[in-house]
Formats: sequence, structure tokens, C-alpha cells
Amino acid sequence: MTYERLNSLLITMVVTVAFIWLAIPFTMAVLWSLVDPAEPWTADKLLPPVMSFYRWVDMWENSSLRYALISSYTLAPSAALLGLCLALPTAFALGRFDFPGREFAKLLCLLPLVVPPFITAIFFSALLFQLGLNTWRFGAIVFAHSILFLPYAIRILTVSFETVRQDHIDAARDLGASAWARFRVAYLPALKPGISATLLIVFIQSIEEFAIAFIIGSPDIVTIPTLLYSALGQDFVRPNAAVLSLILVVPNVFLMLILERLMRSANPTLSSGKG
Amino acid sequence: MFKKILAAAAALGAFIAPVHASDLSDMSWNEIVAQAKEEGNVTWYVWYLQDDFRRAISSFEDEYGIAVRIPDGDNAGNSQKMLAEKDRKTGDIDVFAWGYDSFETVELSTLFNSLNNLPKDDGRVSKLAGVDGGDHVLAFWGNQSGIAYDPAKVSSADLPQSVEDFAKFWTDHPNKFGFNYEKGGSGPSFYQNVLRNVAGVDFTNGEVSDARLSALQPGFDFFNKYAENYIITASNVDNINRVSDKELWMAPAWEDHLAGLQNRGEVRKEIKFYIPEMGMNGGGNGVAIPKNAPHPAAAMVFVNWLTSPDTQTMFNRDFGTAPMNAAADDSAALVPNEQRAFRQSWGKQPFRSKVEEAFIDNVILER
Amino acid sequence: MTLRDWVPIFALLVPGLGLILVLIGSVVYVAVAQSFGYYALLGQSAFSLEFWSDVFDRKLFSRAVRYSIYVGFWSAVLSVALAYPLAIWLRKPFPGSIGLGALLKAPLLVHGLVAAFLYINVISYNGLLNQFMQGIGIWSEPRRLQNDPNAFGVLLLQVWKNMPFALLLLTGAVQSISDDILDASRDLGAGPWARFCKIIAPLSISGMQAAMVIIFIGALADFTFQTTVGPTNRQSMAQLMVSFKSRGDWHSAAVVGVSLMTIALLGSALLAFTSRVIMRGGLR
Repeated sequence: MTYERLNSLLITMVVTVAFIWLAIPFTMAVLWSLVDPAEPWTADKLLPPVMSFYRWVDMWENSSLRYALISSYTLAPSAALLGLCLALPTAFALGRFDFPGREFAKLLCLLPLVVPPFITAIFFSALLFQLGLNTWRFGAIVFAHSILFLPYAIRILTVSFETVRQDHIDAARDLGASAWARFRVAYLPALKPGISATLLIVFIQSIEEFAIAFIIGSPDIVTIPTLLYSALGQDFVRPNAAVLSLILVVPNVFLMLILERLMRSANPTLSSGKG
Repeated sequence: MFKKILAAAAALGAFIAPVHASDLSDMSWNEIVAQAKEEGNVTWYVWYLQDDFRRAISSFEDEYGIAVRIPDGDNAGNSQKMLAEKDRKTGDIDVFAWGYDSFETVELSTLFNSLNNLPKDDGRVSKLAGVDGGDHVLAFWGNQSGIAYDPAKVSSADLPQSVEDFAKFWTDHPNKFGFNYEKGGSGPSFYQNVLRNVAGVDFTNGEVSDARLSALQPGFDFFNKYAENYIITASNVDNINRVSDKELWMAPAWEDHLAGLQNRGEVRKEIKFYIPEMGMNGGGNGVAIPKNAPHPAAAMVFVNWLTSPDTQTMFNRDFGTAPMNAAADDSAALVPNEQRAFRQSWGKQPFRSKVEEAFIDNVILER
Repeated sequence: MTLRDWVPIFALLVPGLGLILVLIGSVVYVAVAQSFGYYALLGQSAFSLEFWSDVFDRKLFSRAVRYSIYVGFWSAVLSVALAYPLAIWLRKPFPGSIGLGALLKAPLLVHGLVAAFLYINVISYNGLLNQFMQGIGIWSEPRRLQNDPNAFGVLLLQVWKNMPFALLLLTGAVQSISDDILDASRDLGAGPWARFCKIIAPLSISGMQAAMVIIFIGALADFTFQTTVGPTNRQSMAQLMVSFKSRGDWHSAAVVGVSLMTIALLGSALLAFTSRVIMRGGLR
């Protein structure tokens, strides 16, 4: 079998699996979003008995959805950028220097991930309140998210820094390149995938985070998860939750495609030639 | 910066004496109302049915000219926010609604303002579900747990009333009954009442002793004997959904929760509700005013309105709740009034918590 | 290393690790203190070991520990095992590979809460899967798949949500391996498995470890999936913690929380170490 045949076979297989993996849940989400309040959709029926766009219209017009979209989509990119900036120096140190205790330092970087959410929610936000950060709620949430999701940024970027090749750096130095030029030719190509992965992951974590954003932001700043948790809390309004997640998917897919493209163009095996 | 963080960390949770004790204590009610109008708005953190409440409060806004803001949020979020900002000089929460037994998990007098200044009204309720709210908490929402059932499967004449009836139902129709043991109180209300009936233990006594806990054993044996014939579900809402989806025929539920889900077209309208003769617990939600409320006077006026006979009558009419003011009209309930007689109170703490732990150890983990 | 070597490293660590230690470190301190009876939200604060001994005595706790480790470990291993072949396959771009990569990563964008309720819909008693299996005649009556006792539902959702994350990290790591090395080894007659063991695995180990550790920590502390689709005769540590908290037993909740943190850190170190040994030493 030729490589091409094998590849197209593989593509067909993966697409089929991905179809079951994705098409079923997403179709279910679409159907749920169309359930009309006139009659509930029970599990024994294949399709909702009464379908309409009522939930879409209602969510758009009568909830804080539009406002929440704006705040979530400004908070999350800001948190991603700030997280990236805060993580870069530490990742550089962890990825390029071999110092005693490096593995331990890597482990300590995971701290924000291991603290149980309710402890972070109550005491970390209380700490931010004590520091007086809440006077600018937006800034406080961005700061809190970038700290909470630093472990992702640091770990991902550390991996990227480790893949930077010493011979590239040396070659650049031997050719008399300035520090900036050396960074651009030797580091940046290897870092690009890590940078876009970091941005994507912190962005997604931030857009999903509920507790801190709610505690600091409410009642002035409403984010998407606040609406989602309201919908799937006590009252369990599944159609509204489906509408919300579908509305989120569209901009997110575009964002991911853009990042994917950035990542691809930075593929070090291609852009740095034979090394 | 570092010093500041250390100081802040040290102060965390240290319960600094309230700096901002809002001085309403020596004001007359008229002065409080005047100040409330000056404050102009009030923020009510309530964790359910926010949309409906936004409509329901319009008569308050019309009467006092004070705007009410009801932020979106859920139970865990609201309570975490309340605790996280307890040391702030001025917080965001004016009036805080919580499940009545949740108030028992915190120190009321350090967190909330006294409600002594409200106009005198003996009809208000501050003792509910085995919890004494004292001067700090008032009930505004009474609800009742019971059994939701599918009338297409079980006729009203065949509804199990006693513990024995339930055992017979389980044997006759295996796995058509399910209850939750956490994430909501409807299941716990069911199993605790079964334990009370089978083991004959007095739940109104909060005392914990080994003898009292081992007396529960016959109750645990009862559940273990029929373990193959009933289902353990995940939550309040899971109970109702599985009855609506025609998987289960019967499951514990809260009356107001079921009604709310039916009104929103979330579950089938045919599902019915009853309170068995063996008894199920009543419960409710209360409100309190945090010490650092930004609009303390308006909060007071709002609590007064919320617990008034008129508002409680309206809630009974619109939501089918049990009124939390003795002077309110309770004629619009969802279950016939004779069934209300089977209402039980939640067991006293700390005994109840120990019962819940023992139930998990002896029944849930044995499955 | 001399002081001169340490200064730049320290300076570099300050904005990242430094901030974490100062801000999150103080939160960790509060949690630890709370587990010993301080920072009481109810009653008096006083030092006590009682909460630790009480919680450790309970069967519920030891079961929760074992169960959480089970979920954490298998979620991490399965996600990474699934993501590896996909990452290697997507290493070199081909027509449609960008779209395919994006497609595979789509679950990242669906909130866990929503994923859980959609999953329940599919497997519920009268749901899609049951209807399908009865329709094609394999099952004669509906089966109860919800809250299955082996937590396959939880593992499935964890993998669904986390595999894309592992894929993201591994794609980056695998792509940084230069073609020369792989070509050279192919010329020397190494088959695909040998190429994976000798070149791809050792060179992408860092990305693999990072994926493993982060997924492990997340799944270990799972609450959402466990409380909706998890087995009802067992509790995860996060679930146990929340149930203590909701009964007002803040100190016992903190005991479970601190144990959870310790297991997360120790487990991560162990996972990272073992995977390094297996990938580097064991197979070489």
C-alpha cells in the first residue's frame, strides 16, 4: 500500500471517529437549543416534540448574554497575554538553565492547579480584596486568572524553550547577530507553537473559569460561565445551556483556526531548514 | 508589596471586628425608610429563579422607589462570594439568600446585621428546618419535600404511604424508585424519615452518642435488605429528570423545584407530587444582611417587604411556596392541605450530620 | 554554582514562580492552617489534630483517595496514549491537516458541565444509545448505564475533554524533531516502532510529561463529572471535600483539600519520573 493510500485511509478513519466523537454531542446541543418551552424533550423521544428558536431569541434579548460575551472576550485574551508575559522569564530559566532544584521548581509552579477550587475561591479572592485590587474589578480578574493559569503557561513554554537548539543559537552568535536577532532566528521559531498553545489554553481556561470571576466581578461584571452555572444550577435549564455553549463555539473555532495557522507557519522543521 | 501581602494573608479569616457597623440601631423605622430611599438601590443575591424574582419585586420598586438588582449566580458562587468578602469594608451584597440549614455552617453574629430594627411583626419566621436564625436570619421561602411520581405508572390509590408500602413497591417494581443522598435535600429527607420510622430514633434531639447512632442499625439493615431494588441517583434535579424521562416511576423531590421545572417546560407537566404519611421534611430559604452591606437601610426595608404577609401571600400564589408569615394566606398550595400534616422538621444538629455520615458509611459504601 | 550564576536565574523566576509562591503560597498556608483548626468560620480557632485523625479514620476517605487516584491516573494515561499517534501523524502538514487538527481539538471549547449533560442524554435509560441498541436488536431491554460503578463514564468524559490538550502539547513537541534525524534512522533501517522508541519518545518527553501531569492533576480533583456521571457508591476527594464544607465542617474539608494537594504534587512528581524512566532508560 502506498503512503498516500494509507494516509487517506487513516483520514477516513479518524474523520469517522471524530464524527461520532463530535457530531453526536454537537447535534444534541443543537437539538437541545431548539426545545420550545411549550413541551419538554424527554429521553424517549428522538427529536424534541416542539422546536423553535425561542430560546435563542429569548437569551439574546432578555439576558445579560451580550454583555457577558463582551466581558468574557475581553477578559480572556487579556489574561492570556498577561499570563504569557509573566510566564516567559520563568520558563526561560527552567528551560535553558540547568540549576540544582530545577525539577522542584517545576513542581512548585503547579501550585495554583493543585489548590482545591473552593479554597482558591474564598481565600485567594479574599487576598485580592485585602490588597485593594477590587477597585478595578476588570484588572483584578485578569490578574487573578493569569496567576491561576500560570502553571499551564510555564509548563508549555518550558517545553518550548527546551526544544530551542543550541547549535542554532551558537551559529547565530558566531555570525555576530545581536541579542534581538538571535532571539528572532534561533528562539522564536521554536517558541511559536508554545506561545500559541499557551495563549489558547489560558484563553480557554479563563473563559471557563467561574468562581473567581464571579466573586470579584459580580454584580458589575457578568461573564459567560456565570450564566452557564445559573442555567445548569438549581433550575437546570438545559436548552439555555446549549444555546450558550453553541454561541461560544463559533468565535472559539475561528480563534483556534487562526492559532493553528500561526503554529503551522512556525513549524521549526520547515522554517529552520536542515539544521 | 510583599509585606502588604503577608499582612493581608495574616488578616485572612481572622474576623477583624466590623469596622463598618452600620448604625441603624438607634434609628426609628421612619428614619430607616428615609435613609433607604436616599440609598436608592439594593442588591439581592438569591441563587435560584432569578428571572421570576426580577418580575416579582416590581411592586417593591413601585412602593419605595428603590431599585432592586438581582445578579445571576448559583448557590456555591453566592456563598463563596459572601465569605470571600466578609472582611471588606464595603461589600457588594445587600441582602443574601441561602438555604436555611446553610446558615448553620457559619457564625451568624459575626457575618450579619441584627434585624431587631424591623417593625414588630410576630408573624415572621426565624426558626425553620431545625435551625434558629435568631436576630439575624428570617425565612422568606418555605418549601416541602415529598415524592414526585408518574401518574401513568402509579395510580394515586396505590401510592406508598408507610415504610412497609415503600418496601413492597420496591419488591413489586424493582429499580423504579430512586433517591439521591447528596446534592440536594429531597433524597436525604426521604432516607432520614425512613430511618426515623424504622429505627424509632428521635431526630428532634441533637445529642450525639454511640448508643443513639447504633440504634439506627435496623434502619440501615432495611436499606441494605432492599439494596438491589432501588436506585441511588445523582441529585435533586436528576431525580425529577429520570421520572420525566420515564425511567423511574417515583423519586423524592421538592415541591417548588418540581413546579419551577414544569413551568419552564423542562419536565413533563403530568408528573404529580405527594407527601407520604410516613412524613417528609419541610425546609426553606432565609435572608440576612451582611455586616458590610453597601446599602444597609435599603436592605432592611427590602427584608421587611420580603417577609411581609402580602409578599408571602403573593409567593404562595405565584410559586406555591409555604408562606413564611403567619398572617399570610396559604390557600394556593400545590398539595392538598391535609397532606401538609405529614410535614416533618429536619433533625437537630449535630446528630443529623452524624446520621448522614453513618448512612454513607453503612448503606452507600456497601452497595 | 556561584552567586553570580544564581542572580539571573532568581531574577527570571520572580515574575512567574515568585508570584505563585507569594500569592498562592499564602492561600496554601491558610488551607493547611485550617486543617489544623485555625481560620475557623464557625466557632473558635484553636490548634487540633483531631480533624486529621477523624478524617483518616473513615473508610469513606481512604476509598475516596484510591478512587481519585484511579480516575486521575487513567485519564492522564489514556489521553496521552490516544494523543501520541495523532500527534505523530499530524507532524507533517498534508491537505486538510489544519482542519483535522482543529476538529480534534473542538472538545476543548465545550464546557465540562455541558459535556456532562449531553453525555447523560446519550446514555440515559431511554436515551439514544439504548434506543439504538434495541433498534438493531442487540439489547432486548434498556440498560442502566448512568453512574456506572467502574466510572467509565467519568473516564470517557475526562479523555474527551483532555485528549485535545495532550494533542496540543504533543504536536508542538513532535514537530520540533527535525526531519534529518528521522530520515537518518530510517536509512539505517529502523522501523516505525523503533523510530518511536529511540527518537520520538525521548525527544518529546518533556511535552508528554507536561500533558500527563496537568491532566492528572485536573482529573484527580474532578468534581463536575463525578457528581453528574460518576458512580454513586463512591466519592471523589473533591466531592468529599464539598460535602464536608456544605455541612459546615470547614476543617475536615481542609484536611481533604490538603491531602488532595499533597497527592497531586507527589503523584505528578512520580508520574513525571516514571515516564522519564520508561521512555529513556527502559526502552533504550
